Amino acid sequence: MNDKSDILKVYFTQMVDSLKKKLDLKLTARRKFIYEIGRIGARIFNDQWSVGWTTVFVPYEILNSMNVSGMFVEFFGAMLSGTGMANKYFEIAEDKGYSTDSCTYHRAIIGAAMDGLIPEPSVLIGASVPCNGGVKALKRIGEIFNKEVFILNIPIEVTEDSIEYLIGQYEQMIEYIERETGRKIDYNKLKETIRYNNEAREYVLEMENYCKNVPSPANSNDLKNFIMFLLLQGTKEGVEVAKTYRDEFKHRIDNSIYNLPEEKHRLLWIQNRIQFKTDLIEVLEEKYGANVVIEEFNHIWWKPMDENDPLRSLAQRTITQPIIGPVERRLKVIAQLAKEYNIDGAINPAHLGCRQTAGARVLFKDALQKVGVPLIHLDVDCVDERNYSRGQTLTRLEAFMELLSN
Amino acid sequence: MGWVCSYTPLELIHAAGFLPYRIVGHSNPVKNAHSYIHPNYCQFVKSSIDVAIDGGYDFLEGVVFVNSCDAMRRLYDVWKRYIPTKFVYLLDIPMGDSSLGYKYFRDEFHKLKVALETHTGRIIQAEALERSIILFTKSRSLYWKLNSLRLENPSLISGREMMDLTDKFFKSDPKVWNEKNKDLLEEKREIDPENHNPRVLLSGSPIHNIEFIDLIENCGLNVIYEDLCTGSKFFDLDVPKSKDLLMSLSKAYINRSPCARMMKIEERASHISKISQKFKIDGIIHHSLKFCDTYLYDVPQLKDLLNEKGLKVLFIESDGLESMNQLKTRIEAFTEMIKN
Repeated sequence: MNDKSDILKVYFTQMVDSLKKKLDLKLTARRKFIYEIGRIGARIFNDQWSVGWTTVFVPYEILNSMNVSGMFVEFFGAMLSGTGMANKYFEIAEDKGYSTDSCTYHRAIIGAAMDGLIPEPSVLIGASVPCNGGVKALKRIGEIFNKEVFILNIPIEVTEDSIEYLIGQYEQMIEYIERETGRKIDYNKLKETIRYNNEAREYVLEMENYCKNVPSPANSNDLKNFIMFLLLQGTKEGVEVAKTYRDEFKHRIDNSIYNLPEEKHRLLWIQNRIQFKTDLIEVLEEKYGANVVIEEFNHIWWKPMDENDPLRSLAQRTITQPIIGPVERRLKVIAQLAKEYNIDGAINPAHLGCRQTAGARVLFKDALQKVGVPLIHLDVDCVDERNYSRGQTLTRLEAFMELLSN
Repeated sequence: MGWVCSYTPLELIHAAGFLPYRIVGHSNPVKNAHSYIHPNYCQFVKSSIDVAIDGGYDFLEGVVFVNSCDAMRRLYDVWKRYIPTKFVYLLDIPMGDSSLGYKYFRDEFHKLKVALETHTGRIIQAEALERSIILFTKSRSLYWKLNSLRLENPSLISGREMMDLTDKFFKSDPKVWNEKNKDLLEEKREIDPENHNPRVLLSGSPIHNIEFIDLIENCGLNVIYEDLCTGSKFFDLDVPKSKDLLMSLSKAYINRSPCARMMKIEERASHISKISQKFKIDGIIHHSLKFCDTYLYDVPQLKDLLNEKGLKVLFIESDGLESMNQLKTRIEAFTEMIKN
């Protein structure tokens, strides 16, 4: 640990303390969610846990069951952006020669690692999905800390052979974690994570079902960045968060408590939110009575898992993830969400620097047009506010809302 | 049958009765592609869409894409949706070091084989595949014999001539190419005593336009080796003998000197260093296409690794011929630096 990663330790500790106080004052699902995510952040400074930096779609159940605190690089990039700390780290990475056209989620953590902000990891695990940039960022972190990066190659097609192939890689990954951390896998604990996953999955499905109600019990920010829930997969805390959301949304519907009782427009958000502070959501809600009722990545696509065959269940979940491979699966899910949630319009920030998603923007538009839902591309960098033009983005968004209103 | 990535098993396509034809796009300003894909994609992807939309690839029976980078995957999607083509296929490729990758890639080749057979209605016989492997091995062997002319100092063959041969290979029947070029070996070549130009190795993103080589050689450098999937590196592949031909191909393609997508930056640096010694290289030009994440992410670390090995490197980024004039000044300065 150095002085700079001490700063991070203090930051997470204070954040968790402050969130706890708020939570004690009033329990809300959002507060509970952010508190638990904050605790995951703080966990990297807890001696009971080994530190693991990962890309987004790795099986956290395995990591959690081995007391490895997994954290995906995009989460950290988003956090730096949300707290206004990212600019310094972009500049450090750019000064070193990282392209200003690259993804800023990754550029932020590369700069932070170069500056000594993040503590030394025990393991680095990257998956070939969703993008190459995340693995490249891990490779750089690996070079800084002189650590091997374990790469999971996620097959693009769902077949029995491809599932076996991924199971084999999970077994190699477990060996790698055992080798690097000295922590042995406990299959009973892994079984338990699968049970927790199934339990949380049911609550999330119920909660999302409530969001199909018109008006939705959720406001636009209640489920913002819910993809971070991945970090809680297979934990008791994950179950508690999901249950709290379910209960809260049920209570709101039972008692007709809505943020926008006259919800004029129901919106679908594609990919991730803008991570730095903007007033776009306020404008949408207050000026247009519009509500973001579902984010693409919040969708539960997998079936209940079998605790007696955890690796196969995890492999099946990963391989069937809609974002993998050709865009067809993803288009199908987006169109399905648009129908199920009674969507009037969709927003795609088309994060600059994202070669995984931006290239499909015309296909998104086509697919949504087929179900009668218009789509706006904002063309913004979701993490780097240095070039953000509020006026320009708002003009585009407002023009879109006028279109929906007519 | 069109192909876009050097990890495509050309032998298999050839054995299915197709002439493999490399899709290269163009090097001019992009015309229509932005209506189909986001502008922040590389020149290769955008210009390939441009040509295809204009009907420039209508003569192809199909295209085999490889899941070699995020941009290539989206190119596949856009092509499949907007460009009427009889056969469009996406081949997956493993990354990383897992030993399980060989079998996986073999299975991927098998799936491609079945897809080609279904499309043509003809079984690809083992003998046909073996013949294709022998034919392509012959081409590679011929290439390396010709390329050995570049071991001489000064080189007995220009970078332009070698890139021209490579480019023709991408568009010709290998049998015809072999026949046509075997006589080149017999040609008597004389050393140009005036040629004291520094010897450079090119690395990085694919370079499809030969004018780029002209630009470098006109700046007073001799291009001696292309560590590019569109140059010498393309031919750097050995198919081991085995009864399981698809496994032989899988091993050959996975074990070839890695492109940046394979996430083996240290191996890339060592390979560049080894080749530099063998070919007596004075300097390295590393070229990344604008928006090519695969190569651009490697630049800072590769710079350190190559500098540690005492190699002189110029890193440039471009998006085709548009930026050529700006590059000229930098390449000239690099030439001066090497000479001093």
